[in-house]
Amino acid sequence: MSASDERRRTKIIRPATFSPLAIVRGVRDLIHYRDLLLTLTMHRINVRYKQSALGIAWAVLQPLLLMIVYTIIFSVVVKMPHEGAPYAVFVYAALLPWTFFSTAVATSATSLVAHNSLITKVYFPREILPLTYVLAAFFDFLIASVILLALLCFYHVSLAASALLVCPIMLVAFLFSLAIALLLSAFQVRFRDIGIAMSLLLQLWMYATPVVYPYSIVPERFVFWYSLNPMAGVVENFRRVILRHEPMNMGVLLPGLIVCLLLLPLAYLYFKTAEATMADVI
Amino acid sequence: MYDLEFHSVSKRYRVSGQSGPSSGFSGRLGWFGRRSGEFWAIRDVSFTVRPGEALGIIGHNGAGKSTVLKLVSNITSPTKGEIRICGRIAALLEVGSGFHPELTGRENVYLSGSILGMRRTEINNKLDSILEFAGVYNFADVPVKRYSSGMYVRLGFAIAAHLDADILLLDEVLAVGDAKFQGRCQERILELKANGTTIVFISHDLASVRRLCDRSLLLNHGCLIFEGTPAEVISQYALLGRERNRVEETELLNPQKPARVSAFTFLNESGSPTTELRTGFPVRAIVEYEVTGPIHNAAISVLFYASGDWTVASHFTTIDLPLHLPIGTGAIEFSTDELALPPGAYAAGCSIEDDWQQIDFVSKTYFAVMPGRPVRGRFHSPHTWRELRYTETVSHKQLHAEGDEEP
Repeated sequence: MSASDERRRTKIIRPATFSPLAIVRGVRDLIHYRDLLLTLTMHRINVRYKQSALGIAWAVLQPLLLMIVYTIIFSVVVKMPHEGAPYAVFVYAALLPWTFFSTAVATSATSLVAHNSLITKVYFPREILPLTYVLAAFFDFLIASVILLALLCFYHVSLAASALLVCPIMLVAFLFSLAIALLLSAFQVRFRDIGIAMSLLLQLWMYATPVVYPYSIVPERFVFWYSLNPMAGVVENFRRVILRHEPMNMGVLLPGLIVCLLLLPLAYLYFKTAEATMADVI
Repeated sequence: MYDLEFHSVSKRYRVSGQSGPSSGFSGRLGWFGRRSGEFWAIRDVSFTVRPGEALGIIGHNGAGKSTVLKLVSNITSPTKGEIRICGRIAALLEVGSGFHPELTGRENVYLSGSILGMRRTEINNKLDSILEFAGVYNFADVPVKRYSSGMYVRLGFAIAAHLDADILLLDEVLAVGDAKFQGRCQERILELKANGTTIVFISHDLASVRRLCDRSLLLNHGCLIFEGTPAEVISQYALLGRERNRVEETELLNPQKPARVSAFTFLNESGSPTTELRTGFPVRAIVEYEVTGPIHNAAISVLFYASGDWTVASHFTTIDLPLHLPIGTGAIEFSTDELALPPGAYAAGCSIEDDWQQIDFVSKTYFAVMPGRPVRGRFHSPHTWRELRYTETVSHKQLHAEGDEEP
């Protein structure tokens, strides 16, 4: 297929404006570049595991080791309530979505700066870079899910039909990760401090999310503020549908979902505005 | 309908104190002698390119050529104005820039191709001819970090050259690889042009612009100052060079320097200053200097730079003419009977050294080499032709044939 077969696209480049139309244009552009998204994501997954001795095992190792450490601390040393299921499964079911989020955010935050040579030399929709890291983290999540299944078998915890609800729950996690990835990566281009603050930020964030402790111990009067963190709703509901076979708790998910749905378009707009001069300041 | 339209486009760069500018960038700022927080790389530039046309954009370093290219390829956005692009664009700003060293040649073709906007199916169809063109067919499954720099560059060009773009942006890419590959690149570009690809070519290399382009623009300090045929624009460019023919010092005058180059001028055959030289014709250059502390083992050198700032030649006096410079002023002449440089734009610099320690260096006096004695290839070598013998052989057939034609 040659270029002449394809209808010639007319592209108009104007100074960047902070208008909602930019979202429509951006998404259209992104669809046009879908092959690059695919190629780069595969490349990302490939490169990540190609040169490491343990290869794909790394995707599993991180949540697995954290699970072991937290199990020792919070079930052997300190007795943490864990809502029926063994603590190991209890914490792993939370670490799984949490690790997805933290990997996605930590790796994508540096995505633009790490590819500065590309950004100053070729055009493509820049959001593809953070997006590929989020997708690669999702790939890791899928691999690490296998361990969850193994743990469930090991501890004789059965799955119910409610487990299918992980799909919408993970969609929320994905959209929220994407919003944060877009914001932080564009921020990082101007303010390199993000990289340094990242690990601290994620650590604090984890304690604001019911990963090592159950959601049920959060005091009633903090619940609203607590659930503004979309990851709180994601992690709590992930645990509910997998371990407790209960329907989703919309009370904790909804505020976060609203935050997420408001944040994503704003993050994208900010990103597209920053994109215009990204090559100049990177 | 145009393929490319610039409507009053301006681009301002902001320079923040610490994190913003890279060294090249602040260097460019230095050119304007301004250190304020912003500068306009291009101002109010409008032009159009018709489908199938080859447009050359020329100008000195810092004139805004690269900014135009970055705007067209959408790497950065304009501050004012509007750019319309009709069709698919392939920009060759730096070949192989999208490569990942860990991946194999084949994988990099997919990666680079998709970065340039190719579809996977399209790459599948062209993979073989790309690898063939680059001459890396047998190394397709070797990581590119093991490639030679030549292979790297060839693969980069091959991908872009097979892109089927409607508009091709070229930035000095004709100067990559060995001579044989350069020839093939030029051939490929001419082939693309013949097939109706619109070309925007940005270069210092006036000879290439003249060969390739139908029309040309001249940029100076970010403004479009002249538009015309390549020949017209090149002569304007040389005029511009004459105005700029003042010694531009790279560093501030240091009073402790024992010597200083005060002027550097090219003279034409009649002895008046010029910035237009001719290939194969005599050239004289005068270096004037001031000496404030005696130098015992001085050397004066004259350097020629081509586009891309690589040194084409440097000549120095040590061997030919040992210099002992007492306090005072002086001048020294550099001359050659036949200039070896082929037509194009160049810069010259000169320096004074003491015991191989550089004391003063001035760059760059711009000059253009215009076609003089015919030359093909990289340089003109001074030569003479002498006929040794000639014996005329006339065949009988020819005689008969000629005889038959006569009425």
